[in-house]
Amino acid sequence: MSSEDRIAQVSLQLTTVPPGTSTSIEAFGTTIAVFNVSGKLFAISNRCPHRGGPLCKGLVSGAHLPSEPFEYRYGLDDQVVTCPWHGWQFNLETGETLFDSRKRLRVYEARVEDEMIVLSDPLRSRTRKGALAV
Amino acid sequence: MKIIDSDVHYNYRRLPDLLPWLERAHHDFVLYSGFGGYSVPNFPWMKESGFSRSDAVPSTGGPPGSDLETLKAQHLDAFDIEYAILNGDEILNVSAIPNPHIAAALAAAHNGWLIDEWLPQDSRLKGSITVAPQEAELAAKEIRRAGNHRDIVQVLMPTGAPAGYGDPRYHPIYEAAVEIGLPVAIHVGADGCGVNPPPSAVGYPTYYPEWHALLPTVGWTHVVSLICNGVFEKYRDLRFHVLECGTAWLPAVLWRLDAEWKANRTEIPWVSRLPSETVRERMRFTTQPLEEPGTGRHLTQVLETIEGFESMLMFASDYPHHDFEGPEQILRRLPGDWREAVAHENARSAYGLKAGAAEAEPAGASS
Repeated sequence: MSSEDRIAQVSLQLTTVPPGTSTSIEAFGTTIAVFNVSGKLFAISNRCPHRGGPLCKGLVSGAHLPSEPFEYRYGLDDQVVTCPWHGWQFNLETGETLFDSRKRLRVYEARVEDEMIVLSDPLRSRTRKGALAV
Repeated sequence: MKIIDSDVHYNYRRLPDLLPWLERAHHDFVLYSGFGGYSVPNFPWMKESGFSRSDAVPSTGGPPGSDLETLKAQHLDAFDIEYAILNGDEILNVSAIPNPHIAAALAAAHNGWLIDEWLPQDSRLKGSITVAPQEAELAAKEIRRAGNHRDIVQVLMPTGAPAGYGDPRYHPIYEAAVEIGLPVAIHVGADGCGVNPPPSAVGYPTYYPEWHALLPTVGWTHVVSLICNGVFEKYRDLRFHVLECGTAWLPAVLWRLDAEWKANRTEIPWVSRLPSETVRERMRFTTQPLEEPGTGRHLTQVLETIEGFESMLMFASDYPHHDFEGPEQILRRLPGDWREAVAHENARSAYGLKAGAAEAEPAGASS
């Protein structure tokens, strides 16, 4: 295990991810997609479990929710990312795919502290200490 | 082993045989139109030896499938068939007729003939009522008129159509079928005939074997259409049978459908679960024409990739057509532990047939 793997928090400049953009960052031994959706931050695993597409490059929008035949019920506005490779969709809040809530991405905590985006891995932060600025 | 045959064809000797059951308004059309009488649009692809077994021509004349005694001796008795589901023959081209009113009237006459002249003759016979899908409200009316007969077990329509059967124009058919409690079936027929579009996306095949090899493609187009249009979500009690469309294509289509649903479900949000799960629960398929790989075990290897397919597959012979397959021909090619289910159990459940009821039913009884 590298020293970085033991880090429970990483941070990046807020200015590198202005509203309406996204990026990816290597942290916690993996790649994390970070989204700034109108000032609200989301961080999920960057790798689509379908074919490995980079989710940080995906369109952020809403989706058509389950509905009766021939009705469109739009929802989850600005809360869904669509993988740029084949189109799997994920709820940015929960990491769940829209077709099967049992399939979900790892979700990371993202908050702003002193103009920095601070990411933490909920699973690690319970047991480990440490921080890394990027 | 008990055998229920899910696809046995019966036919009239001549179209005017249906006149006693046809609205008077259409008699002249049948008797005098065209060159000396109406002909239902026929397939443009011709097989030199004919579409039916030449050994099935009744000694009393008429086309194969037109004589019950021949059918009994050559098929029902010969193979000890417990039940045979009678499906029309030439009438399966009814969806190729331009005039939807005449098409509906001919289908209704055929159904009347079936109910009055065929079904009372032998308690092993169960029937499918044919509907002309061109005008779905007329088809629905016919289902409500004729579908309640005790020996009618299915609504049947040809695969030939100008749109996938999930299209909303066809929904009145499903509504009526669910109301009456009958499954809906499609059977190869009328593809590329009359007013129907070509049976392939690149136009009309040139040769009969070309058409016949492509035969499953229209059927699977309808399967995909039904799923994507949410028909099974809209009609929660609808059961759907796909007859004579082959089987080995199904794994590939289901794999593709499931993958599409995961990736592109946003355009069809009404499809509430994996298409393969819906197909497994709500659709049934018949064996003939069972694909014939050079190495026999390859067929079962393919079919076994469909989870639960042993409960979705029903034996069908297609008697008296040229590509008929008897029970032994079919069942020995399937896994041993599938045979009871495919031979009779699945059809018994799909058509609501009781074990031993054939012997107990008085011939000619009707509701």
